[in-house]
Amino acid sequence: MTVIHGDLSRETQFLQTVAKALGRDKALSVAPTRQEAGPPAFWREQQFENTQPLALFKTNLEALTGKVVIVRDGSEATNQIKLWLKVLNAKSAILWDHPTLRKYIEPAQLGVKAVFWNNERSREELIEIAEQSDVGITWVDYAIGYTGTVALFNGAATGRSVSLLPPTHIAVMRQADIVPTMSTVMRELLARCGQGNLPSAIDFITGPSRTSDIEMDLSIGVHGPVRIWAVVIED
Amino acid sequence: MSERPALQLRDRAVKALKDDQMRQAVRNAVDRLSGNKEKAARELPHWEQWREQTRLIRQHTIDNLDYYLKMLTDNVRKAGGQVHFALTAEAARGIITGLCQQYEAKLVVKSKSMVTEEIHLNPALEKAGMEVVESDLAEYILQLAGETPSHIIVPAIHKNRYQIADLFSQVAGEKVESDTPALTRFARQTLREKFMEADIGITGCNFAVAETGSVTLVTNEGNARLSTALPRVVISVMGMERLVPAFEDLETVLSMLPRSATGQKLTSYISVINGPRQAADIDGCEKFHLVIVDNGRSRILADEEYRQSLNCIRCGACFNVCPVYRQIGGHAYGSVYGGPIGSVITPLLENDFAFWGELPYASTLCAACTSTCPAKIPLQELLLKLRAHRVSAGYTNTFEKIAFGLWKRFFKLPGTYKFAMKAASLGQKPLVKNGYITARIPLLANWTNSRYLPAAADETFRDRWKKRKKQVSP
Ligand code: SF4
Repeated sequence: MTVIHGDLSRETQFLQTVAKALGRDKALSVAPTRQEAGPPAFWREQQFENTQPLALFKTNLEALTGKVVIVRDGSEATNQIKLWLKVLNAKSAILWDHPTLRKYIEPAQLGVKAVFWNNERSREELIEIAEQSDVGITWVDYAIGYTGTVALFNGAATGRSVSLLPPTHIAVMRQADIVPTMSTVMRELLARCGQGNLPSAIDFITGPSRTSDIEMDLSIGVHGPVRIWAVVIED
Repeated sequence: MSERPALQLRDRAVKALKDDQMRQAVRNAVDRLSGNKEKAARELPHWEQWREQTRLIRQHTIDNLDYYLKMLTDNVRKAGGQVHFALTAEAARGIITGLCQQYEAKLVVKSKSMVTEEIHLNPALEKAGMEVVESDLAEYILQLAGETPSHIIVPAIHKNRYQIADLFSQVAGEKVESDTPALTRFARQTLREKFMEADIGITGCNFAVAETGSVTLVTNEGNARLSTALPRVVISVMGMERLVPAFEDLETVLSMLPRSATGQKLTSYISVINGPRQAADIDGCEKFHLVIVDNGRSRILADEEYRQSLNCIRCGACFNVCPVYRQIGGHAYGSVYGGPIGSVITPLLENDFAFWGELPYASTLCAACTSTCPAKIPLQELLLKLRAHRVSAGYTNTFEKIAFGLWKRFFKLPGTYKFAMKAASLGQKPLVKNGYITARIPLLANWTNSRYLPAAADETFRDRWKKRKKQVSP
């Protein structure tokens, strides 16, 4: 209890100090009016043609050493992933237990040991498996054309480790979920989740893990995946 | 308060000027970074509108910081996290060390964070018996070398691959080759083990979001993701100004930060962390703590002009165009924050115009920093004001008095001052190529020899040396 009291009085003192520095007697409690928020107006209002987001996404992710393959349906998507796993000489994969991913992808057809991220296994076991897996496969809620980004909503059956620990990350998405800019994602994310009801972590991933810390020499895969490859389902 | 370097600014600069290898590395790095930044700025339509938008968002946040900090606090709690407030560095160290002890942490992994450098967190944790591992590649290198960052974005630019290979070889107990892939591979393996075993992850905070209680972390390596996904406890430490009001504001600051820093459209990883993991989640932390640090920021906030320096998004662009930084590198500043922005905030954060008040003289006032800053902070105007501030606090010498006298005369006629500054920056134009200043600066010799005259030290070098030696070997 003392800790909580201590924190509360520290909080009051802290906010009071800030208010005083701003020339107020006590902290502002009514919302201040805002002149501008978010990106510039011209950016929010720009129009894109239907096929533009996908084309942009492909160009931008490929510029970052990613691969983007467009397929017609789930069975083509499964085949594409199977092919890539072969190319990589992969033995194991860990997959999000995401209902939409399951709808499209047939794990038994992949030709490797496939484990789903769900509560059938313990945290320790799953993290260990993800760490040992050759490939992690996720379902993308939104992709952003302008930057070649995938946005992942992490939750119970959609663990962060799957897109993080294996050396290759394969991201699967529907073409319809590729939007032109981050503005759409931000808007829909808030609407979809309602305030205070966000997933515990959202990751925007743009290309592989990289660093230029050694003599400004670009190097791939220092902590996260070395490869990020995307399968886009037209459907 | 930070430990002061043993040498005065002039001597630190002179020392740096003799280090050819470091200077070459710094030149290469800043040329590359600012070249990339110019390209990225051209590629994004209406760059100036984005800059203005960034300034408006940051200014609004800072002007209403009390309101948004409260909002952030409430929302972090709603998401299940705990919030702590630290008025001083000492209080922050106490809170964080206390938390680590409470969770009986043995191994702490950290992802890059300037504010934890500022509050000198690592020595405090180590003193409390914990192993602390920096996970950003550059920070890891510096930790092994026992050195401090020399640049906000590329902290180890002053080290070459052979020095890095030597450091890694010592850890490995065998020779690690000096090619980049071998060095990276070694770091990946070594640090991955640490991530898997760590009890606590400590991160900084690039931007918190008041309306959602989120903490946004930006890295290219993915180390912030590892630091927050695997350990059971996560502590994020933020300077109290590091937030935006709304989720949609993220698009602006997250676009401007990487473009200005490295020329990337976005960094490889942006993680938006909303409190601890939810009931059914399997990975992510069980306990989430946010530590909000003042440590002198309210002093900056209290002055309406200095306040603008809190708009900084820590992109490092001002370092990369600064002719002085280019010549002397980051360590000569002697402070946690170097470059033009460091010269502005250090005297204020430290509340010390005698010693740290010298930093605003580490500038040619060419205004290249101001014209590149994505938040449009008028850096060289603030540097001038700080010089005047120092003079009026009684630390001065003839040379500075003259400079200040001139400045005051200009300042009395409002238009004149602006014009003079504009003329000064226009005067730089012929020297500017690809957006950075390429000419050698004949002024630098003057700057170190005559333009700059240090205040008399209040203790002799020998006294300080003795003290330092005592501190190093307890
Ligand atoms: S002062 Fe401006 S340019 Fe310098 S680091 Fe901050 S935001 Fe970037």
